[in-house]
Amino acid sequence: MSKKNRTKFSIIRAAAAMGIALLVAFLLILLSADGANFSEKIAASGKALREMLVSPLFKKNGNFSMKNFSDVLAGMIPIMFTGLATCIMFSANQFNLGAEGGIMLGAFVTALVAIYAPIPGPLLMVVAVLAGGVAVGIVMLIPAVLKAKLGVSEMVNSLMLNYVIMYFLNYLMNSFLADTSKGITQTYAFQDNALIPQMIDNGSRLSWGFVIGIIMVILCWFFMYRTRWGYGIRMTGINQPFVMYSGMNVPLIIIISQVIGGVLAGMGGGIEMLGRYNVYNWSALPGYGWTGITVAILAGNNPAYVPLAAFFMSYLTKGCTLMSTNANVPSQLIDIIQAVIFIFFAAQQFLAGYRQKLVVKSAQEELAAKAAAMKAERSEQ
Amino acid sequence: MNIFTTDFFFSIIRIATPILLATLAAVIGEKGGVSNIGLEGIMMMSALFGSLTAYWTGSWAVGLLAAMAVGLLEALLMGFFAFKLKTDIILVGTAVNMIGSGGTIFLVKVITNATMGKSLTSTTSLITKSLQVPSWNIPLIKDIPVIGKVISGHSLLTYIAFLLVFLTGVLLYKTPLGLNIRSVGENPNAASSVGVSVSRVRYITIGIGGILAGLGGAYMSMYYAMGWSLDMVAGRGFIALAAQSMGGGEPVGSMLAALIFGFAQALGIKVSATGVDSNLVAPIPYIVTILSLVVFALNQRRVEKHRHASALK
Repeated sequence: MSKKNRTKFSIIRAAAAMGIALLVAFLLILLSADGANFSEKIAASGKALREMLVSPLFKKNGNFSMKNFSDVLAGMIPIMFTGLATCIMFSANQFNLGAEGGIMLGAFVTALVAIYAPIPGPLLMVVAVLAGGVAVGIVMLIPAVLKAKLGVSEMVNSLMLNYVIMYFLNYLMNSFLADTSKGITQTYAFQDNALIPQMIDNGSRLSWGFVIGIIMVILCWFFMYRTRWGYGIRMTGINQPFVMYSGMNVPLIIIISQVIGGVLAGMGGGIEMLGRYNVYNWSALPGYGWTGITVAILAGNNPAYVPLAAFFMSYLTKGCTLMSTNANVPSQLIDIIQAVIFIFFAAQQFLAGYRQKLVVKSAQEELAAKAAAMKAERSEQ
Repeated sequence: MNIFTTDFFFSIIRIATPILLATLAAVIGEKGGVSNIGLEGIMMMSALFGSLTAYWTGSWAVGLLAAMAVGLLEALLMGFFAFKLKTDIILVGTAVNMIGSGGTIFLVKVITNATMGKSLTSTTSLITKSLQVPSWNIPLIKDIPVIGKVISGHSLLTYIAFLLVFLTGVLLYKTPLGLNIRSVGENPNAASSVGVSVSRVRYITIGIGGILAGLGGAYMSMYYAMGWSLDMVAGRGFIALAAQSMGGGEPVGSMLAALIFGFAQALGIKVSATGVDSNLVAPIPYIVTILSLVVFALNQRRVEKHRHASALK
């Protein structure tokens, strides 16, 4: 199939997956819609769906809403990091689902450094975020080494670690670190020089962490597609025996991919912490890890597409939040939409019949063009 | 303080039951080459619909059937995506788990809003004692000292779960269907070449798993916790995957593994009763999972080494 057709197919396929997800969303909204009769319900659902799709960008009067748009961009920050983390781990066929616990641990460690470390100036910011990343990278050694050396499922271990991390952090908070003068469980405030400055001061909490995220996207892309290790990671995902027989160290690749994933998730947690909050007060897993998986699937495990996928997910999430306040549809609809989009995206055979048609058509066109060219040649002679 | 009381052993069985049901689902799935990591999500969904149906119909039995039906349906849907549309089954499972977490809270809000006019975030207020899956005092056995107190008086589902360990063994090793499941799991091409419909067997495999996970979900919301609430399954579906691999993929071994988790959690509950922070105790089952997977893998490796060594002699 020609490159043009391939692009055309992937765009149509993506659009179809989103279309199906929106249809499912519409039906579910219909379930919850207020209205005396069916047509009223349809109208109410249509309004709710419009709210979800349009309001992240536009105000009620149709003007562009900078506030909502910057909210969407700010929402991209953590899921870009978990998305990148998942991209790299999934590329090596390592189904490590630990980005969820990873981002929480990263946020926590960064917060501790930001509160207690006596480091002057913006250096504190850098050290805090890196500490978060390193801490999670080290924790990810557990599923990584166990997988590489003993063949224990990294998936089960990483899932278990998510719970262990959550409870352990809550324990540390309750027992040692909480600011007891406050009504809710939270730490003492971060030092001022740890806070990541905001890009726009409108309460969206769109910090310069966004730019760091974009830089990390570029670095990850470079790493995956322009370095030996990135190549090794991708090849391990495609054909592990090939990598082994060509003399690369497969266990090391398995470990590295998960440690890098951990570092990215941890940094994401740290940047989210310092860019959005001034105390640490998470008491449950934030869910960014799961969204990160969706982002990675939408991006086809290619870091270059992560910002686009993260924008899409953040947009939908914001849309669902606005819909729940303005149209009284529970915001958790996002989880269902997310699952539907992601499952169709990952479905290899989804629209396979259509792809087949495209392949046949382009092959026929090529043959026809060749035949015509030969004919023309012959008639010239 | 003596912790090893009859109550303690009773609670091990009580805690192990939902894990055991999900573990059996994992056992059958893995035998058939279908790694279902969506058990967690299926349990959440079945727990929700089981409790809601029990409330609507006023009958725990109908609720139980609904939970099984929802489990079956969700599993078959997973099968459609995994086998027909060729989505990686781990991703299908992840999607099911996403729906099991956020999606169920959406559904419970919407459904209770539509049926009762107020949107609830859990169904714990709906499941009363009469809607609970009944427990059974086994005649004769209940009078045996010590053992009677441990074994008798459990939920009906607990006895079904342990009976299912036996039935799973029979299904896998004594029936033509079991043979098909195992052969598809071991080598789908070979099975296909002798006329076994691979996709049909796979659908049956994942479907049975769905029903078992559905029972596990029903146990959670209609007996163990009396009502559905967000993330109530709390990783039991994942622990089941670990129990399956620890038990070597066999029904009885996996049952023992499930009991170990029951033990770990029961011990945790005992310890937290002495005043230890529950956050320190709650992760015990998850840590036990990781440790036991490691022990299992080390042991496996030793056995293999031994076999290689003796083969060389």
